[in-house]
Amino acid sequence: MSQVPAQWAPFIVDRVDIGLFVLDREHRLLMWNQFMEKHSGKKAEEVLGQNVYDCFPELPRKWLEKKINSVFVLRNFAFTSWEQRAYLFQFAHSRPITGGIDFMQQNTTIMPVVGADGNIEAVCVSLFDVTDTAIYQRQLNEALAALEESNNRDGLTGIFNRRHLQERLTAEFERAHRYNESFALIMFDLDHFKKINDNFGHLGGDAVLRTVGKRMTELLRKSDIFGRYGGEEFMLVLPGTDVVGALTLAERIRCAAESAPADWDGTPIPFTISMGISIYQPEHRKPEDLIHETDLALYFSKKNGRNQATRFDPAVHKDIG
Amino acid sequence: MSAPALLSQDQTDALQEVTNIAMGQAGSSLANILGVFVNLSVPRIRVLDVVAIGAAISDMVGPDKEITAARQSFHGTMRGEALVIYDQEGCMDLADLMGYEEQLEASAERELILDVSNVLVGACLGGIADLLEATLTYSAPSIMAERIPVDRLIDPKKMTWNYALLVEVNFTLEERNFTSHLTFLMPEESIQSMGEAIDKFMESF
Amino acid sequence: MLIKSLPTEWDIEITQAANGLEALEGYRAGKAEIMFLDLTMPELDGYGVLEQLQKEGLNTFVIVVSADIQPIAQERVRKLGAVAFCKKPVNPQEIQAILKQYGIVL
Repeated sequence: MSQVPAQWAPFIVDRVDIGLFVLDREHRLLMWNQFMEKHSGKKAEEVLGQNVYDCFPELPRKWLEKKINSVFVLRNFAFTSWEQRAYLFQFAHSRPITGGIDFMQQNTTIMPVVGADGNIEAVCVSLFDVTDTAIYQRQLNEALAALEESNNRDGLTGIFNRRHLQERLTAEFERAHRYNESFALIMFDLDHFKKINDNFGHLGGDAVLRTVGKRMTELLRKSDIFGRYGGEEFMLVLPGTDVVGALTLAERIRCAAESAPADWDGTPIPFTISMGISIYQPEHRKPEDLIHETDLALYFSKKNGRNQATRFDPAVHKDIG
Repeated sequence: MSAPALLSQDQTDALQEVTNIAMGQAGSSLANILGVFVNLSVPRIRVLDVVAIGAAISDMVGPDKEITAARQSFHGTMRGEALVIYDQEGCMDLADLMGYEEQLEASAERELILDVSNVLVGACLGGIADLLEATLTYSAPSIMAERIPVDRLIDPKKMTWNYALLVEVNFTLEERNFTSHLTFLMPEESIQSMGEAIDKFMESF
Repeated sequence: MLIKSLPTEWDIEITQAANGLEALEGYRAGKAEIMFLDLTMPELDGYGVLEQLQKEGLNTFVIVVSADIQPIAQERVRKLGAVAFCKKPVNPQEIQAILKQYGIVL
């Protein structure tokens, strides 16, 4: 260390290829290195002594003030990451062709500058250009999301699969539990599916399953979770839905099934469905309790002649199962 | 859990006292930002074989607990990684404490966790470093895991150190679910330089 | 560290307790005219010790020595009967000033 001439330090600080600037307690600029000059287009002599938010109105002022003040109060480092906030300053970046992003992505480290008396006199902000990292990370995230999405889908119908339904049901259950909210669960299956397979072959059965997936999806809200639970069985999780809402939707779904046959390459295949409905109550201990109730209600729909929906009623349906 | 005596009993005792003082400062910082009284635990200091760390952390948090964790590197007189582990249920409380009335979006929740982790690590390690006259700098914290069972947090196969100093500090909030556990993991040579700093510190008394 | 901060000319017997329960035992054995009490302790914490001491008549000067620098902590121990609060790391002058204030230094 001792071999480095002291006068090198200011030179290095000024020329180093990361952004460096210093702010006092009033957030006035005390230092502004070449990296910052180059990317902001503002020379040190234009900005020094000025309030940083006056010089750069694009800064997320409230948020950044809080971060910087925390360094003065807590004597602690603070950080900002592109993952939370893509940039602080609107700087151009060097990936205009491949980037697909508007400004240089930035990470910063806000470091307390301790004076001789032990007080924090200023903060030094180091600003890193992380545009490349951010682009790679975004591409990776997109690829992972696509992969996750395909993992969640049922191969035949394209709607959610059982694994994903279970995850979402559990999440909805926990949310309802925590925030004291409610939701409805509907399970339904195709009436006489074995007969359909016997009459039209498995490819015909598959066509009916695909039709159900497509037709019912059109009836749902964006927040509803719909998937194939297995075989000819389907599940619907309806956040924020009460008995009336669940019964209304169930009837629309039932009608949608009955109203028109599935079309298997020109061959019409008529079908109906039977449904069981259960509404979340705080007494439910686990998601499986609701599934069990819809099973019991569904069993009643079948027994009572199919092509109908039954809401689980503990007084009536508890004795079987 | 056999590990060599990288720190003597006296050094461990002194470090426990130093950590106690530092966590008092960290607790006060946390109380400051959350506006509630923070209960502090007695810090626990152990030198562990890496293979034992996972079990030690499960033991500290409670087996089968679902957790979210943040990590942050530190460098200087000592180097290592700090982990802040939150009980999943407590994480929900955190947003509420910070005055968010609605459910937070995932990114806002992450930022909150990172901010609190940064405050805890900075205050606690900063306090230790001040007392030991060590200098430290910190890298940005990042989320290490979200909503996973605690026993899946640490994979010993991925650890490149043989031994680690485990400093455990727990913060709980009164009338709240919130619990966080702070641990510092340091490799052997850092444990030794810390031992030297502790010796100097003890001589000054 | 605390013990080294006490006045060197002080002719007293010092009993150390590793936790709150041991501190209470020492008190009951009549060994605590003055008690330096930490708040974060295993078994029974400092608040617990103070509560128990109050039940048992609080026949001692309790000086709380703690790293917990939250203002509420100070308030609470004072309400529970502690005469003073020193924050860690302790400073010998501060301890001596408190002792003098209560006329304890011999």
